[in-house]
Amino acid sequence: MNKAIKIGIISAVAAILLVLPHLFTMDYYLHIFVMSEIYAVLALSLALIVGFSGQVSMGHAAFYGIGAYVSALLSTKMGLPFWVNFWISGAAAGLISYIIGKLVLRLRGHVLAITTAFFCVLVNVIMVNWIPVTNGPMGIAGIPRPTPIDLFGYRLVFETRMHYYYLGLLFVAIVAWFFYRITTSRMGDNLIGVRENEELAKSLGIDTMRNKIFAFSVGGALAGLAGSFYAHYILFISPVTFTIGESINILVMVIFGGMSTLLGPIFGAILLTILPEFLRMAGALRLVIYGVSLVCFIIWLPQGVWGSIKNWWINKKSSESVE
Amino acid sequence: MMLTVFLQQTLNGVILGCIYALIALGLSLIFGILETANFAHGEFYMIGAFIGFFSTSLLGIPFFISILVAMVGMGLFSTVIERIAFRPIVGKPLINSMLLSFGLSTALANLALFLFKADPRKIESGLNGIHFDIMGIFMTGERLAILVLCVMLACLLSWFIQYTKTGKSMRAIAQDRIAAELAGINVRRIYSITFAISGALAAAAGTMVGAMFFVQPDMGLTVTLKSFVIIILGGIGQIKGVIFAAILIGLVESLGGGFISYAYKDAYPFILMILLFIIKPEGLAGGGK
Repeated sequence: MNKAIKIGIISAVAAILLVLPHLFTMDYYLHIFVMSEIYAVLALSLALIVGFSGQVSMGHAAFYGIGAYVSALLSTKMGLPFWVNFWISGAAAGLISYIIGKLVLRLRGHVLAITTAFFCVLVNVIMVNWIPVTNGPMGIAGIPRPTPIDLFGYRLVFETRMHYYYLGLLFVAIVAWFFYRITTSRMGDNLIGVRENEELAKSLGIDTMRNKIFAFSVGGALAGLAGSFYAHYILFISPVTFTIGESINILVMVIFGGMSTLLGPIFGAILLTILPEFLRMAGALRLVIYGVSLVCFIIWLPQGVWGSIKNWWINKKSSESVE
Repeated sequence: MMLTVFLQQTLNGVILGCIYALIALGLSLIFGILETANFAHGEFYMIGAFIGFFSTSLLGIPFFISILVAMVGMGLFSTVIERIAFRPIVGKPLINSMLLSFGLSTALANLALFLFKADPRKIESGLNGIHFDIMGIFMTGERLAILVLCVMLACLLSWFIQYTKTGKSMRAIAQDRIAAELAGINVRRIYSITFAISGALAAAAGTMVGAMFFVQPDMGLTVTLKSFVIIILGGIGQIKGVIFAAILIGLVESLGGGFISYAYKDAYPFILMILLFIIKPEGLAGGGK
């Protein structure tokens, strides 16, 4: 019974997602949808690091930025197509996060968070100041769109936001499947072991360091892929996108939904891409409201929306069964 | 010529480091006693600087008394913040306090930007007329006064923590909160006092920086990050280690900015930190948490 319901729900959601852009055809809505997809990938990739291996990283925007810059530079300076850049930028971000992970993952808790935060600042400083390569604060413009591909005699072009929406949907689906496979595998169990009690995990013969580095590099690589997608979607990148504020934003998405689940981060990413749009009318006070709501959220719903609803449900059920 | 530049930059670095020490000491206190990472600490420093600025420019209060005004004002403000925002999450996982204080930091920085606009302002200390020139090394009366004041405040703080009853309670809580509570220490009172001291020190530093450089709404975040680097390098809860690390960071920034490249000066503390993690993972002073 469970399996049938699951398949039913999944196909219903898939159907909704497939027709969604035809219901909201305004460019503005489509843009929000595409951004939600990019953030969903970023949130999932960070959830692998924070939610599963339990290592708080505040530098995720750095890998996102590295992916975007590598992709932008390859396409504007060397003329390579998106389909090549996409993989190279993922590999580059993955490699850098592997090296950084190897250096910093023996640290724990606060110290790790601060170190990764500073890594993000370092990357940003390089983006702003290495003008011959990154063009400094002016950013890189004129990034080409993905080239059309021929699939079984059918020509797929990427011109409008609608096309990007479907490409992004495929991207999110693959990443979500990948995430699901990792977290339900033995590797995922090992990662949870590291999160819950690192010493105990070690004593059971789990190579905790290797597991942490694995999660960190895979997370970094996925963020790099998202960066590449972003660069070829917006067609312009500049250092202001990849700040520590963006890292925190992604972290909040992960926490907001509830971190150690598949749907939590996706849910958080969608909600936190849409909600701030309502704050646009607040103008200059937008970020003040954002900050205050973050404070209230942490005080009142520290387990995330998903987790809090779940807890409320469990409490209600248990109190009913007592009666 | 090179030597003069070197000595000048060293002196600037030490002064900068002393100011960093004041900020980092406050952050280290909160970190040690409440086990809370306060990312809004740089905003305390920024608001303190604005209080100092308005106190000198609008009210015409002399510079040194303005520092005191900023310290008292910020001390009160940070106890209010502690009461409203931080107290509900004491004892919760670290990530909660980090996100909460980051939200606070965003809210305060943008509120300041909304109210005061982004233009840099300068606090007039009235001490720039006096200056010394020893072998080509330039030193204003203002900088000398700031140096002296920083040393005085740091000494006062270590005396307070070492010898007063409140200071002893603070150390007791930092070691073991439950045992301290059982011994009859009013933990909540100590939390408020810790935040007040931390805010006051940040405000003093902010006012001094406002006199040496500028007061701006966005001056907080980099300072917060640097202070975290300092307390990680110095060892959490170790006053001497923190002061030493602060001066080291000040020197690295000043000398690196003078001799290597000014544009990358915000990156040096990070590189230093990474290098130290590789060479000496337990921090400069050793021990710590």
